[in-house]
Amino acid sequence: MERSRLLPLAHFITAFLCFLPAICLGVWQMLMRSPLPVPVDDPNAYYASVTAHGSIMAYVFPTLFAMGFGYAIASSAMGGVMRGEKWAWVGFFVSVVGTVIAIVPIAEGRSSVLYTFYPTLIGSPWYYVGLVLVILGSYFWIALMVINMRAWKQANPGKPVPLALFAITACAILWGWTALGAAAEVLFQILPVAFGWRHTIDAGLARTLFSITLHAIVYFWLFPTYIAYYTLMPQAAGARLYSDTMGRIAFILFLVFSIPVGMHHLFMDPEHGSGFKFVQSVLTFMVVLPTLLTVFTICASLEIAGRMRGGKGLFGWIRALPWGEPMVLAVGLSLLLLGPGGFGGLINMSFAMNAMVHNTSWVTAHFHLIFGGAVVIVYFAIAYELWPRLTGRPLVSKTLACSQLWLWFWGILITTVPWHIAGLMGQPRRYAIFDYSDPLVAKTGLLTILSVVGGIVLLCSVILFSYVLVRSFFAPLAEFMPPVRYALAVNPPASVPKLLNGFGFWTIVLLALLLISYGYPIGQFFFLRGQDSPGYSLTRELVR
Amino acid sequence: MSGENGKTWFQDAWAFTAICVLSGVMVMAFGIGFLVLPRFQRGRGPSSTRDAIHQALGFHTHEKAIGGPQPAPRIPTYVVWNESTIHQALSGDAKRGEFIAINCVACHGEKGMTSQTWIPNLAGIDPLVVYKQLDDFRSGTRVSGPMSAIAQSLTAQQTADVAAYYASLPGVPQTGGGRIPRSGRSYRSNDATERLIFAGDPKRGIAGCAACHGPGAHRLGAPGLARQNAAYIEQQLHDFAQGSRANDMNMPMRTLAGMLTEDEMHAVAAAYSSGMVEAK
Repeated sequence: MERSRLLPLAHFITAFLCFLPAICLGVWQMLMRSPLPVPVDDPNAYYASVTAHGSIMAYVFPTLFAMGFGYAIASSAMGGVMRGEKWAWVGFFVSVVGTVIAIVPIAEGRSSVLYTFYPTLIGSPWYYVGLVLVILGSYFWIALMVINMRAWKQANPGKPVPLALFAITACAILWGWTALGAAAEVLFQILPVAFGWRHTIDAGLARTLFSITLHAIVYFWLFPTYIAYYTLMPQAAGARLYSDTMGRIAFILFLVFSIPVGMHHLFMDPEHGSGFKFVQSVLTFMVVLPTLLTVFTICASLEIAGRMRGGKGLFGWIRALPWGEPMVLAVGLSLLLLGPGGFGGLINMSFAMNAMVHNTSWVTAHFHLIFGGAVVIVYFAIAYELWPRLTGRPLVSKTLACSQLWLWFWGILITTVPWHIAGLMGQPRRYAIFDYSDPLVAKTGLLTILSVVGGIVLLCSVILFSYVLVRSFFAPLAEFMPPVRYALAVNPPASVPKLLNGFGFWTIVLLALLLISYGYPIGQFFFLRGQDSPGYSLTRELVR
Repeated sequence: MSGENGKTWFQDAWAFTAICVLSGVMVMAFGIGFLVLPRFQRGRGPSSTRDAIHQALGFHTHEKAIGGPQPAPRIPTYVVWNESTIHQALSGDAKRGEFIAINCVACHGEKGMTSQTWIPNLAGIDPLVVYKQLDDFRSGTRVSGPMSAIAQSLTAQQTADVAAYYASLPGVPQTGGGRIPRSGRSYRSNDATERLIFAGDPKRGIAGCAACHGPGAHRLGAPGLARQNAAYIEQQLHDFAQGSRANDMNMPMRTLAGMLTEDEMHAVAAAYSSGMVEAK
């Protein structure tokens, strides 16, 4: 196996190896919240489990996946060998070591702070150190993406950077800036308390810093999916991308608008006035633009494919699409899930409507629908697309792969639709146990049981996914395996405006927006002092 | 600010459009958020632009002093858990504390464990707990004849020393993380007392005891209760319920104990003291 193939393969395998146990934990958690009997019905175990599930699903899995996908894109764009592969391995090992360091204290029950930390809760310092290492590993990737894109531009002066490379670099830059919020919170606020150097922490500042990461991280997860929408799906459908420029604009808008919007997670927080909450609410609505652009472009590309395959009439092209191709099917299902997920998001980000759903199960259901549904279903398809290219062995069965995607789609719907409804009925989130003998709580019992059923369907889907990949891994080598081809646009651009071919200007715009929208909200904590509260250390033990 | 080819970004049509659109959006967002919306909030908007901006930033500009005589505030405790008090409470010297603790032996036992069940065991108790209770006895927010007198003879440093000494003794198992999960610690438990301790009773608004007193969790300044004397726990629950003990900050104990029945108080105290509830 070529070394350049080994790098993305190692990332994908590690990512999915973490994914499988995290899904099992998720199913158990839903069972715990339901009225059904459950093994180990101990709230402490629940919070430890949520911490493990969240840390893996939010940090480890998507980060490793994006890194692997980025390396695959970079090496194919660079003609087989990307720059700085040695450093990519260093980053990989830093991330893997960080994962192990973080998981141990979680399993010991000494870091049950949930993956969003929630100071004044303070877990074992090694949990945070581990996560910082996971993120540190991804900074090697960020640097390599930027370096490789620059190298490509130097080798091809004046030519437009391939859309896939352009987009994954935007993703890396986005992650580089947005991760700084959580990193600052952990390094300057939480770790000093966790190590016992300080006893108190300003939870308001911590939450504000974390909000810088909290929303854009979703777009970091979403980027590989959108890259597949734009560059892999039209190719798999046997057609072309509707517009390359539209893709560039969408990715640039995501880069610029997804960070200075995080305060919509703090609408109910008292430490901020309504002014900046409103400003960031407006900016959040701006993020809807690239999503709509994407939905339009992708539907148009699908229509081109359908009509090229002989589809006629207003909707006939939909039936003509090759739904037996995992990538096409996954994108179709992903768009279907993105619809309700996106509209749910519009409710969350609306200053007034947020009050109805804040801290209810609605929010958890929403991000499972968006991330678990719209995003991860395409991760599976990317894996199916790249796996044969990386291992040199053909996929054992596209039918099985498509069944797996359908299973996942229905699993997500069965899990999250009742979950949303339970949230609207007032079921709070972050609760380990519910007293179903209470008539008010009992009404959500059946809905939660439905979510458990959905969870089991999702688990079955992941087992099928693993089966397909493992079987393919041991299949005989293919005699000829064509390299990954990224979709061309209907009118491939010979040149693009230089602002659509680089990120220098947009980074400055992003930083200016950050300064305007977060400058005062963060700065106020340094002149409005006296808000520190004692850290609630989960691991606190007596100094004997 | 210049892009490639020496052209400034302001001369680039894309950059110029982006800057104009963004500036427009920001001006609109700030205008509505800081000037227009505050005027419509709660039907009594600010009178001036300056007030509107202050309100949008989160300052209170409409606070008016309420006239007339006010009742004297009731202060549950003078201990505030901030960087300096926590540091002070943890800075005790156990050796010095052992010497001071000679005064405590008669009631609290030789090594902080007593056979008189209406008196608390002190061995192994978190230093912050002992520090806070002694401070409360000293300031009179918690009342007990002998303890008030003894606490008044101690300085803050001596208080911390005694706290450090009792913390160093093996005794009451401590609260904190790292507990091995066990089934039956939820509403599914058949044992009503275990249910009350670990899950509470949300229908009455009662939080589980374990959330603050362990095992598996703690709250700053709240004692771990496993192996504490039953009669003492029960008496404290009664005192909180009656309001004759009132030194709990934000009154969680007065609120919860007031809702417990006599039988529940007895059962909870017995469960903690018997070691049915252990840290590990």
